[in-house]
Amino acid sequence: MKTFHLLALCGLCAVAGLTGCTTVNSVENANKEGQRNMVADQRAVTDHSLVKKVAVVGVNTAMTPGGVLRVQVELQNRTRSMQRFNYHFEWFDANGMQVNNVTSALVPDQIEGRENKMISAVAPTPNCKDFRVKFIEAE
Amino acid sequence: MKPKILIPLIVAAAIPVFMAGCATDAHYVQTGGRENIVSVGQINIQDYIQAASAATQELLSSGALDKVEKTPAVLAMSRIVNNTGQQIDTDLLTKKIRVALLQSGKAVTTTTMGLGGTSEDPLAKGMQQENEFMNDQKVTRLPDFSLSGKIIQTRASNGNTHQSTFSFQLSLTDKNGLAVWEGEKEITKQGTRSSIGF
Repeated sequence: MKTFHLLALCGLCAVAGLTGCTTVNSVENANKEGQRNMVADQRAVTDHSLVKKVAVVGVNTAMTPGGVLRVQVELQNRTRSMQRFNYHFEWFDANGMQVNNVTSALVPDQIEGRENKMISAVAPTPNCKDFRVKFIEAE
Repeated sequence: MKPKILIPLIVAAAIPVFMAGCATDAHYVQTGGRENIVSVGQINIQDYIQAASAATQELLSSGALDKVEKTPAVLAMSRIVNNTGQQIDTDLLTKKIRVALLQSGKAVTTTTMGLGGTSEDPLAKGMQQENEFMNDQKVTRLPDFSLSGKIIQTRASNGNTHQSTFSFQLSLTDKNGLAVWEGEKEITKQGTRSSIGF
């Protein structure tokens, strides 16, 4: 009877532990045609809780046909459960001055367990040379 | 401690408590920030900003605005159909796109040419006509593109959980009547009955 109770308890714990954990399986072509122009990044981490869950894998840039900077950030969910977060792109001109943008938005997003995901943005003007992406954990 | 001293002390301590009760909790929040109210059944200001941002970024990265004889491209605003359950001012979406495109240097919007012969700025149209009459020539540059669209709301519910998807659809049409760019941004919001004020 004691063994039965122990097994039942273990079963319940396993079910409770698995609830809410959905991870992602993926497949992609092994020999890539496209080459990403990865850029060296500088990171400032103040929310260690968020960075343990959603981490930045890398940043790459490209130019649009109209000569506007496009930035793509690869994120990885290090946990087994879905994570919600907000992000916001800031843009800077050649003098390092921030470029104000009427459509600058805090974008809510989510990432599934163990998923790798890209987020991207296009600079508001061709004068933008640098960028910063801010991540805030969703409540 | 004597009661004579205690009474004024209690009164003095009580005054701030009563005053705090009278004060409102009104405060400023950042437009589009995370403190903004989220309504399931309505388009919030952050939704307009997100939709305008997505449309502008897609439009800039497509290069469609660069394929004109003379830059910057001239844009005319066409109809934005509201197929949601609420009364909305579509300028909350289109004005942001116009401002962003103007700031990008890729497009300017005409305010003297509108749907059904109307103009957004009648005084500017009068000035333009007078200028043409005085110079005895047609100086008006015709628009290269027109921007039209639709906003659609799709509702779904399951028990106490309610969901709304707002689809912001936009089309950029050239002088030949071809849609050279089309974009769609969908924003889905979900909430329980108690949180959406039914």
